[in-house]
Formats: sequence, C-alpha cells, structure tokens
Amino acid sequence: MTRNTLFRLGDWGIYALFIVIVLGLPLMMDDVFWLNRIAKYLVYGMLGIAIALSWGYAGILNLGQGLFFGLGAYMVAMSLKLQSYTSMQQGSDRPVPDFMLWNAEPGAPTELCCIVKGSWLWLPFQAQWFGMVMAIAVPVIVALILSSAIFRLRVSGVYVAIITLALVLLVRLLIIDAQPVTNGFNGLTDLGWLTVAGIEFDPYMVSTYYIVAVSTCAVLLLTRWLVSTRAGLILQSTRDDPNRARYLGYDVAAYQVFFFTVSAGIAGFAGMLYVIAAEFASPSFLDITFSISMVVWAAVGGRSSLIGAAIGAILINTIEATASETEMFQEAWKLIIGVIFVLVVLYMPRGLAGLAQDLAGRIADARVGGKQRARTGAPAE
Amino acid sequence: MVAALTIDALEVDFGGFKAVDGLTTVIDEGELRVVLGPNGAGKTTLMDLISGKTGSTGGEVRLFGRDITNRPEHQIARAGVGRKFQIPSVFRDLTVHDNLRVAVSQVPGVFRNLRLGMAAADRARIEEVIALTGLEPVLDTVAGDLSHGQMQWLELGMLITQQARVILLDEPTAGMTQAETLKTADIILSLKGSHTLLVVEHDMAFVRKIAERVTVMHMGKLLAEGPMAKIEADPAVREAYLGTGGLH
Repeated sequence: MTRNTLFRLGDWGIYALFIVIVLGLPLMMDDVFWLNRIAKYLVYGMLGIAIALSWGYAGILNLGQGLFFGLGAYMVAMSLKLQSYTSMQQGSDRPVPDFMLWNAEPGAPTELCCIVKGSWLWLPFQAQWFGMVMAIAVPVIVALILSSAIFRLRVSGVYVAIITLALVLLVRLLIIDAQPVTNGFNGLTDLGWLTVAGIEFDPYMVSTYYIVAVSTCAVLLLTRWLVSTRAGLILQSTRDDPNRARYLGYDVAAYQVFFFTVSAGIAGFAGMLYVIAAEFASPSFLDITFSISMVVWAAVGGRSSLIGAAIGAILINTIEATASETEMFQEAWKLIIGVIFVLVVLYMPRGLAGLAQDLAGRIADARVGGKQRARTGAPAE
Repeated sequence: MVAALTIDALEVDFGGFKAVDGLTTVIDEGELRVVLGPNGAGKTTLMDLISGKTGSTGGEVRLFGRDITNRPEHQIARAGVGRKFQIPSVFRDLTVHDNLRVAVSQVPGVFRNLRLGMAAADRARIEEVIALTGLEPVLDTVAGDLSHGQMQWLELGMLITQQARVILLDEPTAGMTQAETLKTADIILSLKGSHTLLVVEHDMAFVRKIAERVTVMHMGKLLAEGPMAKIEADPAVREAYLGTGGLH
C-alpha cells in the first residue's frame, strides 16, 4: 500500500467515523436536553464548513458570514412565528405576530396586510414552505449580487473582510431599526414548531435532532464532493495565484462568485436549522463577535479541512458549554478562546486537522518505510 | 506561412508617456521570435498588451487573423495565448501534478468543471509534458518547494498543457544556473515548429543559441528586425545600446 492510499483511506475513515457518531448519538444518549444542544453545535459545525470552503479553499476571508446565517434564520422564523399559538390570539382570523400589535398605531386594523407599515411583507410567509425556500434563496441572492460586485472589481484579501464585516453590521442595524416588522432588538421569539406533512417537530424530539444531523452530514459530503471536482481544484488555484489562473483561461471571478455563494447558501441553511432547533431568531446572529467566532472555530479545527472546521466548531462549543457552567471559567472563557486562537494561528496554522495529518503522515511513513526495509533487508533504525 | 500573431501599430499611452509606440510586426506560425532591447524599451509592456494585462490605446493585436485587442485576460488565454512571467508564477500550495491538472482543462466554465476525474486525452497530454520537462521525480511535491529552475519548467509545462498556440516568455532563464539555462534552451527549441514563441531575453549566449529572427525595440518603437547576425552588425542597434557597451 502506498503512502497516498493510506492517507486517502484514513481521510475517508474520519468522515465515516464522524457520520456514524453524529447519526448514532441518540442511541447512546437519551438526554433530549443535550441532544438539542448538540443539534445546535452541529449547526455551528455547518458554519465551520461554510467558512472552510470560502476561507480555506477560495482564500476569501468572509468576516460577515453571520449575515447569511441571520437572513436564513429570519426567513424561516417569520414563517414559524405566524404558526405560533399566540399569533392566532390577536383578535383576527388570520395569524398576526403579537409584537406588531404592540407597535401598531391606535386604530390600525389587526390584519397582516396593514397593521404596521411594511407588515404586508409577511403575507407570503403564512406558507411555511415559503419561509424555508427563502431561508436559502435570500442568502444566495444577496451573496450572488454582493460577490459579483466584489470579485468582478477584483477586490481581494483584507478588503473583502472589511466589506463583509461592514455589511453584516449594516443589516443588523436595519433589522433593529425596523422594529415594527422585525421586533427589533428582541428578535422573533415564541415560534411555532416546524410542521411537515402533519408531523410537528418539537425541538426536543429525537426526530428534530435527526433533521439537523442528516443535514449536517449531507452538507459535509456535498462540499467534500465540490472541492474534489475539477472546479474545486481550479478554485484552489485561483486562491494561490489568481493571475496565473486567468492566463490559463479561467474567469477567476466566476469561480469566486460560485463558491462564495455556495458558502452563503450553506450558512443560510444553517440559520434555518438553528431556528428549528433553538426556537428564536435574533439580531445577535448578525453580531460581529458571532461572525468572528465562526472564523475562530474554522481556524482551530483547520481551515483547509472541511471536516476539521466542523469538528473545531462542535468541539469549541461543547467545551464552552461545559466550561461556562463552571463558575471559575464563566468570565474567563472568552479570554481562553482568544488565547487558543492566537496560539493556533502562531504555531498550528493548519489547525487540528493539520495536526492529525502530520500524525497520520508519520504513521504512514513508519509503516511503508518498515515494509520497504523488510523487503530490502535493510536494518530497522 | 500563416501569420500566428500580428501586431499592428500597437500603442499604449501612460499619461503622455508612450511605452509602446506604433509597433508593427508579424510572427509566423511555428516561429521563434526573440525580442531584444535596452531597459525601458517596452518589451514587457508589449507582452502585457498582447496578453491583456494592460489595455492598449491604439492599434491592434490579431491571433491567427482574429482580433484579440483589449479582451479580458482569460479570453485571450482561451483564444490560444499562453504567458510565462518573469517571476515564476505557479500554484505554490498545489502539487506539481495538480498544477498540470489545472492547466489541462478543455472547458473554462464553473458548472462544466463540476465533475471528478479527467479525460484520457488530457491525462496523455500531461504525461507528455512531464516527459518533456523532466518533472517526473517531483510530481507529488508542492510547487512552492521546487527549486527555481524546476518552477520555471513547471510554468513552461503548464503553458504546453494549456495548448497555447502562441507562447510569450518573459526572461525564461532569469536567475538560472548555466545547466538549467541549457535545459531551458532545449525545451524551448523542442517547442519550435509546433508552437509559436515570442521570447524576451537578456542573456545573449542564450539568445544566440535559440534565436532565428530578432526584433529590437527601443523607446517603445521597432528599431530593427531580422536574423541575429544582421542585427548584431546593425549600427542603429549598436547606437541604442551605447553606454552599456553594445550587445554582449
């Protein structure tokens, strides 16, 4: 067996192991509280994958990924809000979100069309499928327009990071400012459950966990396939040397736009799943700290490894959940994460995945080397 | 003879300074043309104009009769122009093999490249290029770890896999050892006939080894054109190089 085959086997082994653990977890754990928690961390894992795709493979550092996550979350939350019990209790035959009533002018009709300015935007969200489709469509369309402008103008590096960072802040302000239709700072809470074919998905049910778990595994495999295609290879070449790729005849911007948009679509999908599991959407999804946290997860896990970034996100959040319940770590946790990030960037630029690869490389060398020595009869060292 | 590359009254004006000023020359298919000229003569700018890096302000570039003036770089590349840069430009984080795989693609679009594997013809071409450039022992090496010479050969190999019909080489032997220079000359000579080459070079020993027809540029204009021996005897050329002691 050659070194490369060993490597590939090990790689697929880790993917298989990850999928088995994620899908098998409910068999080992019957604590629905923790299952729900882990479902949220799997969503974060998906965000790690999205970051690894754009940062690791395309070389595009997006510091505003929370924008796409937030858009996806709000879209589906609007639908679920209209499905909640309280929305039916506002004195109309059709659902009206409770907060709109609090924000309405005296005498305004209690109808979704015109209770507050702009509330008609909510009308199509009475259909749950509409919210779910928009949760992916809106981030994808926004990303498509944004990235076309950025990459056609050949903006790159830190400037992309600044633009995305500014944009997520801008949209966050807009959402808070449009309080009558978005409930501002408070976000959308008291949501109904996802209902598919008459089945209600209680977030604390094993089946809801499976929706998230299967989605995470599917996204992981899909992105893995994407980066293994020729297009994925060409994308990596545009990261290394965009000019060279151009002179080989590739429209570099087209590749950047495509993968940036896929990454945004994944983030939107993750936002949708998060709302299904966590039952709220809030402007905090568009906080800078959240977008930067995603980058930290991917960096610690290994930004050039999709599964590494996913594991990094899940691991950090699990540790965080445990550590922040210990009083001693409560305050210090952000500091600890900061120190870990700095150490990883300085000493382990390829993250946990890089560490694992180096280790696997050594084992493979030892095995292949050992066999060769045995064949040639050379003494082992 | 078919004209591979026609440069017709090409001009670029950088705010009053004309780096290339009304240059006209025709390069035949299969020809190996060397461009000489003192520093600032406009040699690299000429390559920038042909390959689309810089937009021209006048004149035309035609590739096999087709107008490619001021098209975007990737379209000019797809039309059949390959360019090697002075500083080796390869995909440093990819292996040598992957570098060649990127270069071989027949179709440029994103969606048509959403597939695994490679056509047999593409694989065969990569094998040919590996044999020509002697990169076999370093196929799995990351390109950033190659020696300077190997990196240059890889870049040259990528242009051949790309199936560029016209290859522009900007100082292909810069920074090379003598042995590396000789090997590069061999690779370039083996391309002559099947490819059309335009080479900018300063190393006169190298130029004498590969050159047939030579174009001399001075201050953005064509100064002289013809066989190497004639160029070396040309008084106007000697004049242009005065102060650097003539061609040596």
